Amino acid sequence: MITRNIFFGLQVVFLFFLSACSKSPDIDDATMLDGDQIFDPSLYDPEAYLVSMAIDDPSDAQKNTPVVITVHGYSASTFEWDEFRTYTDANADILVSQVLLGGHGRTYEDFKNSSWHDWQEPIMAEYNALREKGYTNISFAGSSTACPLVLDLIKKGKIGANGMKNIFLIDPIVIPSDKLLTLVGLVGPMLGYLETDNSEGEEGHWYHFRPQETLQELMDLIDKVRRDLQKGYDLPAGTNMKVYKSIKDSSADPVSAVLIYKGLKNSDGSDIDMEMMDSDLHVVTRLDGRENITQKDRDIQKGVFDDMLMRIEQ
Amino acid sequence: MPKNHVLAFLFIASAICLQAQTQVTEESWIGDLKGGARIQKTQKLYWENGFALDLTSPKLVDNRVHLGVSYVTSRLGSAMGTNAIKQDNFLLSMGYHFRPQKDLQPFTRLNTGYFHADYEYEIFDVLPNNAFLLSIDAGLSYEFKVPFTVNLSAGYNLNTGNGSSGPGTLYPVFYQMSLYYTILKKRSNDN
Repeated sequence: MITRNIFFGLQVVFLFFLSACSKSPDIDDATMLDGDQIFDPSLYDPEAYLVSMAIDDPSDAQKNTPVVITVHGYSASTFEWDEFRTYTDANADILVSQVLLGGHGRTYEDFKNSSWHDWQEPIMAEYNALREKGYTNISFAGSSTACPLVLDLIKKGKIGANGMKNIFLIDPIVIPSDKLLTLVGLVGPMLGYLETDNSEGEEGHWYHFRPQETLQELMDLIDKVRRDLQKGYDLPAGTNMKVYKSIKDSSADPVSAVLIYKGLKNSDGSDIDMEMMDSDLHVVTRLDGRENITQKDRDIQKGVFDDMLMRIEQ
Repeated sequence: MPKNHVLAFLFIASAICLQAQTQVTEESWIGDLKGGARIQKTQKLYWENGFALDLTSPKLVDNRVHLGVSYVTSRLGSAMGTNAIKQDNFLLSMGYHFRPQKDLQPFTRLNTGYFHADYEYEIFDVLPNNAFLLSIDAGLSYEFKVPFTVNLSAGYNLNTGNGSSGPGTLYPVFYQMSLYYTILKKRSNDN
């Protein structure tokens, strides 16, 4: 009798795991980025987003114009840097290349099947395309997960001396705020995915459902970058870095800034530039789509944009 | 020179084993007193190592309750010669051991104490770097015939950093190994 009960119990547990693993989210195609109707606009019209594709044969003046490669974070889309493009169009003479991370901006299944190496690939593709076309003044601006992706490229030596003038990191993630993410390898397969609470303005620009496979990829990426920073490395010669970090952040723990500051130095061994922002937003440069934005948030956003432009145009 | 090292080791080991024979009387409040080294690995973060003391008393549920004091730090682990954050954990523990008369004892433990992380640069003074520690862990303890005991356990920090409060490098899940040397041992009835 006891043996039969144990056997029955094991069957129940097995079925539970089986059902949990095969769980698929209930996607609303009409409103969610996860579905098969809404895609990132850069996929339809890449010329409007990528400088390398917008200008076939750049003039000498264009080649010397500053170009900023902007890259969004995990589960987001090019929308995250739309405000920066709008601001620079009105206030500066620079070119902005909005890169969509690999696996992003497409269906839930595409996202689920992507690795962090896939996410990283379009950054290098655009950087190399700009270099091949002769652009001489390239900078990078990344938010959240874009930051460990570019930190990994630096560590691997993919960005050579004088290859990038400025690197701006906005709320970089090396340590997650939600510490339960450290257990995603264990409990993720049982959950299948996590549901987010996007605002109405964010829905359609961020995935509503986060596949556990991609959360594991995210953890693998930031764990690697954390260990690299622990050993320490330098920026390439001729590259300056500025990090902007909220002191309260529900996604990227602010202590991420400490690890970057300690682990990454300028090529001459000096400290990188770091600014701790009195904000509780994750990615202080993106306000569109958020609810309850304050004037202080707008001031911080403008302050960061102005500081970036000042450094880019120096 | 290596021969001298071996002789020195044997001398120290002998002295340790003799010291371990130090026994307390039946009437003493102290049961066993053990001290040793602790190795701790946090899931997806640092190695933090240090020291631990463990005390039992016949007056406390017949030696089933263990009182402990420990200190583990990344300074003796991941932060040695690296850029890892230097952080310290000071802990008081109360554990309950099952099968206290056996060599192999399952145990569970409640720990509380103080956590401090040193961010080193003034610019990070705005970030929280101290916390009250509260954790539970459970595992197995094995007492060897020689005066050594090894504890293996897995634990969970109930108070972790969350991006808004609490130190960011205070993570939830940790694994521990403690190797104790028996400093004082209560004389058994048949001695």
